[in-house]
Amino acid sequence: MTYNYIHDNPLQDGIEHVIDRLVDAGQRVPVGPLRAHRFGHGDHDHDGDDAEADILAQFAEQADDLHERVVHEHGLFVAEFLGATGAGKTRLIERLIEQAPDEETIGVIVGDVAGEDDATRFRERGAEVANVNTGKECHLDPEFVERGLSELDLDALDTLYIENVGNMVCPADFPLGAQARVLVVSTTEGDDVVRKHPMLFQACDATVINKTDIADAVGSDLDLMESDVNDIAPEMPVFQTDAEHGDGVGDLRAFLNDRGHAHAQDHEAYVSKTAGHSHGE
Amino acid sequence: MHEFSIASQILDTAREHADENDASHVTRLEIEVGEASHVNPEQLETCLEAAKTNTIAADATVVIETATPHAECDCGWSGEPDVAENALVYAPDLTCPACDGRIELAGGDSCRLMSLTVSDEESTADSPSTETV
Repeated sequence: MTYNYIHDNPLQDGIEHVIDRLVDAGQRVPVGPLRAHRFGHGDHDHDGDDAEADILAQFAEQADDLHERVVHEHGLFVAEFLGATGAGKTRLIERLIEQAPDEETIGVIVGDVAGEDDATRFRERGAEVANVNTGKECHLDPEFVERGLSELDLDALDTLYIENVGNMVCPADFPLGAQARVLVVSTTEGDDVVRKHPMLFQACDATVINKTDIADAVGSDLDLMESDVNDIAPEMPVFQTDAEHGDGVGDLRAFLNDRGHAHAQDHEAYVSKTAGHSHGE
Repeated sequence: MHEFSIASQILDTAREHADENDASHVTRLEIEVGEASHVNPEQLETCLEAAKTNTIAADATVVIETATPHAECDCGWSGEPDVAENALVYAPDLTCPACDGRIELAGGDSCRLMSLTVSDEESTADSPSTETV
């Protein structure tokens, strides 16, 4: 049987993976009462000292560990780019690499379901690249990022860009510890793209509306897209770019620089909102 | 489809708590999915049913409830946010109804394992069931 697209049958490898982890959970011991184990939640009758198990927070904690290591121990600025396949994430990162000062050493972790194409494009522009093929997984998670980090010399890098798998849904609940989460959409996706994916916009720190040069040709209203972002995610910075020709990329670069510098001064204020649940506590 | 990753994490957590309580079976899992999370409750249910096969939670009843979002604003307002009018699918309106500033979600954007029932006995003949509330 052949699976042609990434959302098909994620269980195929997953079940065995889970069984491997759970099958050693012990022999069945007969006799014993049924016991309710309710997690500590204020309004429940329970002597519990267990924290209620916040499943998504467990992913956020893994991201915090990454953040601590990469940003604070190694002093890197980390930005994550996510968005649909074809939004222009790769081209945008290429331009950021090209426009960086010579002394800035940039690493890129490229998440893709398969292939080396994007990695090759970054290497040709002088970046250190770790290519992470996610196979059937539709998003990067902290474990995939760890795999990428193991291929990079973090002490030699100033900046790390993480390009997530092209997907507008799944990455949202999997923060990667970056100081900035940048959502890249393009005019070719239709000017209702913001209204179709509102909660992803709410989960990110900045939006790039790319391919402004062909907005008229594809019938997309840039003003509408930008005002939709302002409605859905109030106060979020929006950058209009034509990454193909390099236009508008400088403003995004300035935003990222500011964010990196501000984070060094005021950690609390500039942790990417989805990555920083536990920092303020 | 990131629900399988989440199902795996739920089962890992359940196993840890069963181990801590020297229990051999998990008989019931109660899970709360926030409407403002990115988790699809129906897909999570399907993934859990598949993922729990051959685990200590194989016969567990899975109950999934949804939680409405709760938000707080620096101005002092708190409550359930409105639904974003401009969106084509559900999203909370993050504009504060009191001061027009941006509000932050304080609940209803998570996925929680709320309760876990464990046993040392072999499961009864009752077939496991799944409920979505």
